[in-house]
Amino acid sequence: MPSRSLNLWISLTAALLPAAAHAQSKAPTVIAVPQFATPQNVSTSAGYTGTIARSIADVVASDLRSSHEFVPLGPENARVYSYPEATAPSFSHWRSTGAKSLVTGFVQNRSDGRLTVACYLHDVAGGREIARKGFVVTPDEWRRAAHRCSDAVYARLAGRPGAFDTQIAYVSESGAKSVAVKRIAVMDGDSTSHRYVTAGEATVLTPRLAPGGQRLAYVSFAGGQPHVRLLDLDSKQDLPLLPGTAMSFAPRFSADGKRILFSMAIDGNTDVYVANADGSMVQRLTSTPGIDTSPCFSPDGSRVVFESDRSGAQQLYVMNADGSAVQRISFGMARYASPVWSPDGERIAFTRIAADGMRIGTISPTGIGEQVLTSGGKDEGPSWAASSRDLLFQRSDAAGRAALYVVSVDGGAPRLITTPQIGSDPDWSTAEAQ
Amino acid sequence: MRRILLSAWVAMVLGSGATIGSAQVLRLPPVRVPALPVGPRGMPPPPPSIDTLKADFVAKSGSDTVYFAGTGFGLDASAQATLTAQARWLLANPAARARIEGHADDRTPRDFALAIGERRANAVRDFLVLLGVPAAQLTTISWGKERPAVEGSTEMALALNRRAATVLMR
Repeated sequence: MPSRSLNLWISLTAALLPAAAHAQSKAPTVIAVPQFATPQNVSTSAGYTGTIARSIADVVASDLRSSHEFVPLGPENARVYSYPEATAPSFSHWRSTGAKSLVTGFVQNRSDGRLTVACYLHDVAGGREIARKGFVVTPDEWRRAAHRCSDAVYARLAGRPGAFDTQIAYVSESGAKSVAVKRIAVMDGDSTSHRYVTAGEATVLTPRLAPGGQRLAYVSFAGGQPHVRLLDLDSKQDLPLLPGTAMSFAPRFSADGKRILFSMAIDGNTDVYVANADGSMVQRLTSTPGIDTSPCFSPDGSRVVFESDRSGAQQLYVMNADGSAVQRISFGMARYASPVWSPDGERIAFTRIAADGMRIGTISPTGIGEQVLTSGGKDEGPSWAASSRDLLFQRSDAAGRAALYVVSVDGGAPRLITTPQIGSDPDWSTAEAQ
Repeated sequence: MRRILLSAWVAMVLGSGATIGSAQVLRLPPVRVPALPVGPRGMPPPPPSIDTLKADFVAKSGSDTVYFAGTGFGLDASAQATLTAQARWLLANPAARARIEGHADDRTPRDFALAIGERRANAVRDFLVLLGVPAAQLTTISWGKERPAVEGSTEMALALNRRAATVLMR
């Protein structure tokens, strides 16, 4: 019986794979997310474990709902179960709710003051556990554990990495545009835990998170000339990437976080460079006259996509990571800019500039199948979700006020990401390198 | 390569009897700064304030700003006339320092805007240097699209933001 249901699950998955490109038409999965259990309701610095157990289920349900691929049942009005049931749920009850899947878990206070958060995913029809994750976190980090639980559930059921335990960095702007105060802000992928990480004395641009979201590279005008700086979000250490006074910009980390691409402009000529993530071993990758900028590694680090105006107007080019074998990949009746390679390697997102304005689109790394996804007219700077299913970007209104939006790669209406002030240059962290 | 072309071009324009001849550029009489009051108790007069210098620079040069088309960085006849007058003023005021600030319009993605601002600032710097302004008198910076002169995204606003300004510094 279990083996038959497993076979059935595999064949169902196989049948759904070709339809993945049309995920919107796929019916969402009903998934029960009741309140987590706690063996003992004790007080912690972030409240009682029982309260945290409820909050974690709220976050997991909210995460899964936001993907539009799941319909969560609970935690409101769902059955409250006891601690032992976290690992041995009464499947007959959950079958009666119509749920296909079930998430259970518990929150336990440890003697060192931290929490163990455990999370289990069950196949309700088959009556078995299909994934589990455990995390040890400080009580204040319970939300992080909840997001990582959502990631584990999503990865198991959707077959793609989840993007819930992620960070979004962006530029927060206040004041009139010509004298705007710009600060870099960081928040969790679900818009919580918002904080400012630069003070606003210098104009700052294009924050780019390292994998895992603990460090970021950005451009600062501190001291006059725009230059790339590295900021460690834990230690707050903030240093220029390179010594000297050259103008550097457009930083982007490799998927393993070990290297960083950027541009330097010298005497009117901008080229693409690569360095170790600490700024050592700087190497120039392009040498044609003109502007070569916005470089981004492929997820395996073997290739680099960038934009160049070497042919006249800006177009997208792909080259090997050592700068060899440059190939143009965009040929539409437009200019193309700010290319970003998807985490799954399948697509490259870009900003397309034509008579109808700036829009976000995607194209394959070989230049096939260009798709334009937005119609805002002033949309720019796409950044991929870790799932490779969504793009975060900046949209400006007619008055030039920018805000952050998310659009699905399948199209549809972009969704506003609310920020306390004007928001631009968003960047979504990818999963930490394994 | 670009410098050689620009140099040949400048020689051509100046040689063909444009507003000033190439040989005369360096011999232009110094522009007179308006007389300043003598300081109290016979102290030497304070140097002219930066605002006084800026006002004089704009009055004598016609403008402190030149404009560009599209994503270009070429200097049209109007830009060249302005820069020629700016060069004359800078030569007459060798103590003055200027920072050339390049800008891009709002229809330019962020990174490319920084690059094109740098290219525009350098085009202006190269032109002034070819007219004899000592390179040490000049610095460049790109503001990308961070400091628009005019807000909004009408064609007029875009055109006014594609610019390079010669800003006198202390």
